[in-house]
Amino acid sequence: MADPLLPKKWALKMGIKNLKSSMNMTGENVSFPDAARHAGIAAFPHYFVGINSLAELATTSDRVCVLNILGNESKSVTPTSHVYSAGNVVCGTMPGRSGSVLKTELGDIPVYNSVVEALQAGHRFNVAVVYVPPAGVKDAVIEAVRVNPELTKVIILTEKVPLSDARIIRHYCQQQQVDVFGGNCLGIADAHHHVRIGGALGGSHPEESLIPGSIAIYSNSGNFTTTIAVYLSTAGWGTTVSLSSGKDVYIHFAAAEFSHAFHNDDRSKAAIMYIEPGGYYEQDLVFQKPVVACIVGRWKDRLTKACGHAGAIAGSGDNAAAKEQWFMQKFGVDRIFTADHPVCSARGAVVTNIADIPLAMTAVMALNNEAPDFEKKGDLSMKCWLADDLGDILPAELNIQPVKAVAPYDEQIKLVNEQIGVIFPRQSMKDASGASMMDPVTQITRLFGISILDVATHTYEDNLVMSLVREYPDENSRALANVLLNAYVNLHNTPMLTAAFAARQAGNSPNTALCAALSIIGPDMAARASRGTRLLLELFHQHGLSDPAADESGDNGFDLHAVVKQAIMDKRRELLLTDDGDELATIMLSGIVSRNADTVFIRFLQLLASETRQYVAADAVVAAICCHLAWKPLLHKRLSVTTLYNMPWHFRIFSAALGASAREDRHTDTAFGGIEIATLVKEWSYTDTAYLALLTKKPGVEDRFAFSILLGLVASNGPGTISAQGAKGAVSADGPEVPERVQINKAYAGFLSHTGYAHGGNGYEAMRFLISRFRDIGLADPGDPDHGIDLAELAADYAREYKSYKTQAKAAGNLSYEKIPCINHPVFKGKDVNYDPREVYVHDLFRARNSYNIFHEFYHELVKALASYGVSPNVYCVNIDAVIAVILLKMLWRPFVDREITEQFLEYGAFTTFVYGRLVGEAAEIEDHTTRGRNMDTRTPASKCQAVS
Amino acid sequence: MLWGSKLLNYVGFPTSEVLGPEATSEQIKALLDRYGQVLVKPNFKGGVGKKGKAGLIGFASDVATAMQEKERLYFVEHHVGRNRTKAEGVTFESAIPAKYEIYVSISDDTRFRAPTLTITHHGGVDIEELSKDQIATIPYDALTGFKGFVVANALDSINAPNEIISPLVQNLPKLWDLFNNYGMSTLELNPIRMMPKNGRLMPIACDFKCAFDTDDPSWKRLELPASLDSSGYSDFEIEINELRTYQGQSDVFVTNEQGTVTAMTFGGGANALVTELLGEAGTISSDFGGNPPYEKMYEISRIVYKHWLAQSNVLFIIGGKANNTDIYTTMRAMGDALRDYFNQHGPVPVYVVVGRGGPNLVRGMAYLKDILDALGIPFRMFGHDSSMSGVVNYVKAIDDWMQADGRSIVTQKMGIKNGH
Repeated sequence: MADPLLPKKWALKMGIKNLKSSMNMTGENVSFPDAARHAGIAAFPHYFVGINSLAELATTSDRVCVLNILGNESKSVTPTSHVYSAGNVVCGTMPGRSGSVLKTELGDIPVYNSVVEALQAGHRFNVAVVYVPPAGVKDAVIEAVRVNPELTKVIILTEKVPLSDARIIRHYCQQQQVDVFGGNCLGIADAHHHVRIGGALGGSHPEESLIPGSIAIYSNSGNFTTTIAVYLSTAGWGTTVSLSSGKDVYIHFAAAEFSHAFHNDDRSKAAIMYIEPGGYYEQDLVFQKPVVACIVGRWKDRLTKACGHAGAIAGSGDNAAAKEQWFMQKFGVDRIFTADHPVCSARGAVVTNIADIPLAMTAVMALNNEAPDFEKKGDLSMKCWLADDLGDILPAELNIQPVKAVAPYDEQIKLVNEQIGVIFPRQSMKDASGASMMDPVTQITRLFGISILDVATHTYEDNLVMSLVREYPDENSRALANVLLNAYVNLHNTPMLTAAFAARQAGNSPNTALCAALSIIGPDMAARASRGTRLLLELFHQHGLSDPAADESGDNGFDLHAVVKQAIMDKRRELLLTDDGDELATIMLSGIVSRNADTVFIRFLQLLASETRQYVAADAVVAAICCHLAWKPLLHKRLSVTTLYNMPWHFRIFSAALGASAREDRHTDTAFGGIEIATLVKEWSYTDTAYLALLTKKPGVEDRFAFSILLGLVASNGPGTISAQGAKGAVSADGPEVPERVQINKAYAGFLSHTGYAHGGNGYEAMRFLISRFRDIGLADPGDPDHGIDLAELAADYAREYKSYKTQAKAAGNLSYEKIPCINHPVFKGKDVNYDPREVYVHDLFRARNSYNIFHEFYHELVKALASYGVSPNVYCVNIDAVIAVILLKMLWRPFVDREITEQFLEYGAFTTFVYGRLVGEAAEIEDHTTRGRNMDTRTPASKCQAVS
Repeated sequence: MLWGSKLLNYVGFPTSEVLGPEATSEQIKALLDRYGQVLVKPNFKGGVGKKGKAGLIGFASDVATAMQEKERLYFVEHHVGRNRTKAEGVTFESAIPAKYEIYVSISDDTRFRAPTLTITHHGGVDIEELSKDQIATIPYDALTGFKGFVVANALDSINAPNEIISPLVQNLPKLWDLFNNYGMSTLELNPIRMMPKNGRLMPIACDFKCAFDTDDPSWKRLELPASLDSSGYSDFEIEINELRTYQGQSDVFVTNEQGTVTAMTFGGGANALVTELLGEAGTISSDFGGNPPYEKMYEISRIVYKHWLAQSNVLFIIGGKANNTDIYTTMRAMGDALRDYFNQHGPVPVYVVVGRGGPNLVRGMAYLKDILDALGIPFRMFGHDSSMSGVVNYVKAIDDWMQADGRSIVTQKMGIKNGH
């Protein structure tokens, strides 16, 4: 039987006898000057070392086979190595992938199932580069060495090779006279030869780090191998060979072998050795040329387990402190070299911080009368590339300002800084949202990180703005938003109003009627304003506007006239102007003045109109207000430009939703709900307008507060709600990857079609229930705490009544008996006393204002009574729908008792209030899905669907 | 010895008789009847040295004394260097009368780059206290393991008495099976007491220490209880270690539970430098280099933020100029996890400092920048042409500023109130 340790015999046995002289990728014939294995160099009598000089480590004649070539890491690294080294990779292996190729700029590298197959195909190589997963490394190395008699070097990149395997690799390759590098290393690079083998030294642009010079690098850290090379270049030093040794327990080509080869490499005048704790590899080194040793890891003494490099766990004799001493003795120095204490000798210096390496090298070489290899390249000073401080918050000494980065990064950063707004990476947004998130435990939703409980304390207009620009407006922005929202609420003589009327006449629910109206607000209705936002964005971004609210003098010399001048040259200015006066624009402009609001965009429009002797168009005012609201979030990269372009459309829908929910006779030529549009635009908040639309009058302070709370509380319940699913599905179906195609109004139709009686209806059920309890007991004012009604008794009466009803129903086998609405939210089950934290929060809010609500208090008594009378085992909680019902019913109680409104109106009121509030959340979801989602991403795969019979 | 004796039994190496902490008076009495004396030893995870010298080994010739010693040693604390270890129970071990005490260890010695036997017949004390000529250190063939002749040669070289050579030549090679087959990185028996039996000496292992190679799955075959692990992993470390796969490092070590700078470090070199310079300010020492895939990096980030973000003044992302790690992938994962953390737990006042270089650098920085902008977090990003130690020192200065009044300024600027 053939001796497996005799490689040539074995190769013949494997049928690899026709090893032909193959050509490399550039067409040269290959010959390996050191291919014939030898006994090793004499300087190492006890073990085999085949490398006599660093110049032999990575040569132009080395030919490489990469094992596991199509693995993730190799796939990205090997093509760069191959190109940098003028095509030194002749083939690769990957079990089961024979016939594949790895593409490179120098042509395809063929892939084989095994090394044997590669050899049989006629390839010749003397280097095996191992990217095989750890468990397979030992076998891969043995196999490669065994079947290829010409193999002289094995470079193991793989991390976490078991110690027991490293042992055997060492032993086997020693017997076979093969030099092994690594494991857990980044290979070898020779800047003079322009060759790197076995790893990613220098990353994707090796030339940047591997600058030819006179310093050899030996580093326990792969990353620091080239980091040190870059650092050296800042002092004018280039490199010969950069060797990443690895830092497993077994370093196969270690410090002693490196030192020997360094001494014999005429190109290398000095060396850097980057050394970590653990192991005695460096203890007995004797240097014949200068060396700067960087010893790190004193802190590792505190470690009780490996962190970072497996071999860097040290005992007392081979820790960092001990290693510092070894090298200091070799160099004849008594302390560590630092910038403040540049202690070194002609033999070398010891540093403990890689930043000190360049200075130390220059100092040591000066003592050897050696000047740097070239002019300094850059420096290591602090260079901030990107920064944002939320304003000037840092003290001067920490406030390092961004500087121009080195090429090619400077151009890339310029592009980043020029990019307006955020570009979210696209992903499947099915059941996912970047806008809202409901905590499944507390049931509290956050909208853009803002708790829904906080949302509820903001006005309706604030929340509508926030839903689009992700932050709340200041007073000025709020005024502008109120102008815009009120300007379009009147739908007199529009098809939207007609559609809503027709839908209601046909018996449709309030959401369906709104759906009909909004379906008409297609893209063309907002197109001009949308294009206006694009133009304004372009003009003002070019001129570096930072704050649209600041006046010319206050905005760091922002020159409005320059923008106007540029706009006049631009044909698209017609988007902003009209030749005839625009009545709505005039109303809005005077509304802005009345409210003392201001924005540079409006001032621009007015200046432009006066320069061109034209009039500002209403769409231009819309665009200007949208730009104002979105400007800072865009600059802060919180918003996508797509959202800005869509904002006029959203605002149009916000206005139409209110308008279309009011009866057609409440719209006239100039007024809505009996109030002149000009007055609404000048004076009214949109919260009040919503109240007007729904309840036909302006609210008082308390009612306004209650109404805002109501709208805010229902703003969102996360992406899993039916309404959100409807909106998201509509966006998904249009294909958000081309965001211009997404029909925003259709997305709102999706939301509205995914609401219904069961949705907003529960609030109505609660109102009906409360009316049944309070109708006949003479309640005059639900806000009066001195009502004289014994709520506990009232609740107890009902509990007894309900218990008897429930018992009878169950006895009759009726399990679908009527449930009491708005209690016992399932999530809060199982506790003795249940509180829905949202309900508690709202209850406290009103109590703090001394605002009493008899219905709310009754609900509290009711859940207690239900437990006392054994209807429920626990005290149920009053849920958030009940809160909505009690607030709304308190507002409507007087008109209802006075028969001004009907019970049917209550249902309409509950439903419509829900829709108004939910507009906020859905606007956010629609934009989120449009700017993040993928086409058709809400689809459910067939495998997850169920067939039910 | 409680677990040591179980492991040694796998390969038939004789051990002292050992009873665990649950031993009854009757069992101890029986042990006393057989051996005349028992040793009561506190059970330290991982085998802490110098117990005898510290007075932490009890000797008892009767049950009452044995029980008293059990009470004294059951939760005793042992101080070795800067480490403090608390005992978890005791063992009762038969006292082995012996003429010789042997020290034996097997490990891989970097001086030989081979598995190496270290042996002396002057055992029972700390090996460092002996002179070099009293100790034999012999490397041997990794493929064949150590054989009887290795032992004989070793003992010969230190003039060991003849009477111990044969029994040790017969028994010690069994240890190689244990060491080699179960993924050990170190195995140490000290002492092995040479007990007279039937006219010759028999080696009895009386103390056992071993360490396993975490990269070698073989030791899992022993099915040792997780609680045996000497290192006392924190919850954080355990969670991160679960992600240990071959692609991408995920090494972490908690350096200061009260730290205020959380550094996500890439590369062994950066890990050494950053941990050293941050000192007590750092919460963790970490190495996440090695081009981790997105999913792994996201999970790592999620766990790091979960444990450390709330207390941190600075979130520090630091590495050299990566050769292979895709900066875009890692930044994207860290950014996404940060955004998700804010969404889930609400915002926290933190300053982010980045120092990095490598493939897809600006793309990665831009991605992270967008997320930081969106979350309203202040930040500074430095390229690989700023000295890494300079960036670390900058982080320390930011940390000091945050500690003083920066944190409240950032809290206010980020609009954080009422804990959310």
